Amino acid sequence: MFSSYPYVLVAGIIFVCMFIPLSILSEFLFIEPLFVIHVIEDRAFSFTLLVAISFMSAVVIPMNIYRIRTLQKSTTKIGGSLLGSIIGASAGICSCGPIGFSIISTFGTVAGTATAFLTYYEIPLRLVSLGLLCLVYYTTAKSISIKCKIQ
Amino acid sequence: MNRNIIVAAAFFGIVIIVIAGFSSYYFSLLEAQNMPMIKPTSMINLENGSPALGSESAPITIVEFGDYQCESCYYWFHNTRSTLIDNYIETGKAKLVFVDLPFLGRDSITAAQASYCAEDQGKYWEYHTILYTFQDGAPDSGWANQDRLNSFAFTLEMNMDEFNDCMDSSKYKIRVKANYSEAVKQGAQATPTFIIISSDGTTKKFAGAQPYSVFAATIESML
Repeated sequence: MFSSYPYVLVAGIIFVCMFIPLSILSEFLFIEPLFVIHVIEDRAFSFTLLVAISFMSAVVIPMNIYRIRTLQKSTTKIGGSLLGSIIGASAGICSCGPIGFSIISTFGTVAGTATAFLTYYEIPLRLVSLGLLCLVYYTTAKSISIKCKIQ
Repeated sequence: MNRNIIVAAAFFGIVIIVIAGFSSYYFSLLEAQNMPMIKPTSMINLENGSPALGSESAPITIVEFGDYQCESCYYWFHNTRSTLIDNYIETGKAKLVFVDLPFLGRDSITAAQASYCAEDQGKYWEYHTILYTFQDGAPDSGWANQDRLNSFAFTLEMNMDEFNDCMDSSKYKIRVKANYSEAVKQGAQATPTFIIISSDGTTKKFAGAQPYSVFAATIESML
């Protein structure tokens, strides 16, 4: 499947669309005043998880598109992969950042608790997200290989 | 077939939204970068902020808008600040002023007030340091509640009667509010946000727990 150029392109787009905005929102990548990547030792594991989630999303989502388009399978698994990506994307968005500030300024304390939850449970949430993406990868790969063997 | 089209459309819709959102954010930053950066120093009111750390006559002023419960401020404090102090503040090239932007919870406000009660006893920066040293857990989780604020004051061997009277009277409530208003007026929408001011009044603003190299490059370009 990844020998097909459009799927590699989609995978690349998904990786970039996940990695760059999430790195900015999680304050690993700064573009102003200088373009700089800054990963401190305390947050190295979190950065590794962010890269892993971006990579797994870039693998799993095109696999499911292939599965749905080529093998005419159900759309359930792509829902799982999107859910995994969304959990991974929302975890770790810094409550001190502009998004957190806007949410807290607009919606008050309850929103503050929600954004604090996403910030302070960043690693468990990203692990759940990665687990979900790995599960979807496993079931999708199995589904594709069985179908290919039968065909 | 229809279901496949809906899924594909939803997926591409999400991708387009992400790209559009990021592009909009990026272009707004570019637009901000292209705007003239010269702004008179007098436009930034620092009279309610912290006492300056460093020489009053230093040509560069680093203004930090921060929240004591902010995790990014904690990372900046522990990873960048000390090198900045060694190379620019202790050498007399820059001074640091902290302006409160307490938005993360009620304990952020009381912690900011406590820092000014510590200032009354000449221990503002010691108290500031102890707050960032003991930051622990989510906002309002109790690490900066009244009891902990008192225990920090006690650790710094402050006069507890004076400190308690200061806290009970909420005498710095208005000062903290004024700092919040000033931060918002200066366009701070995240903590930490920094404004670097040169002696000729030129300012540069950026947000986030950025590395030392960014500060060094910015300050050197303004000296």
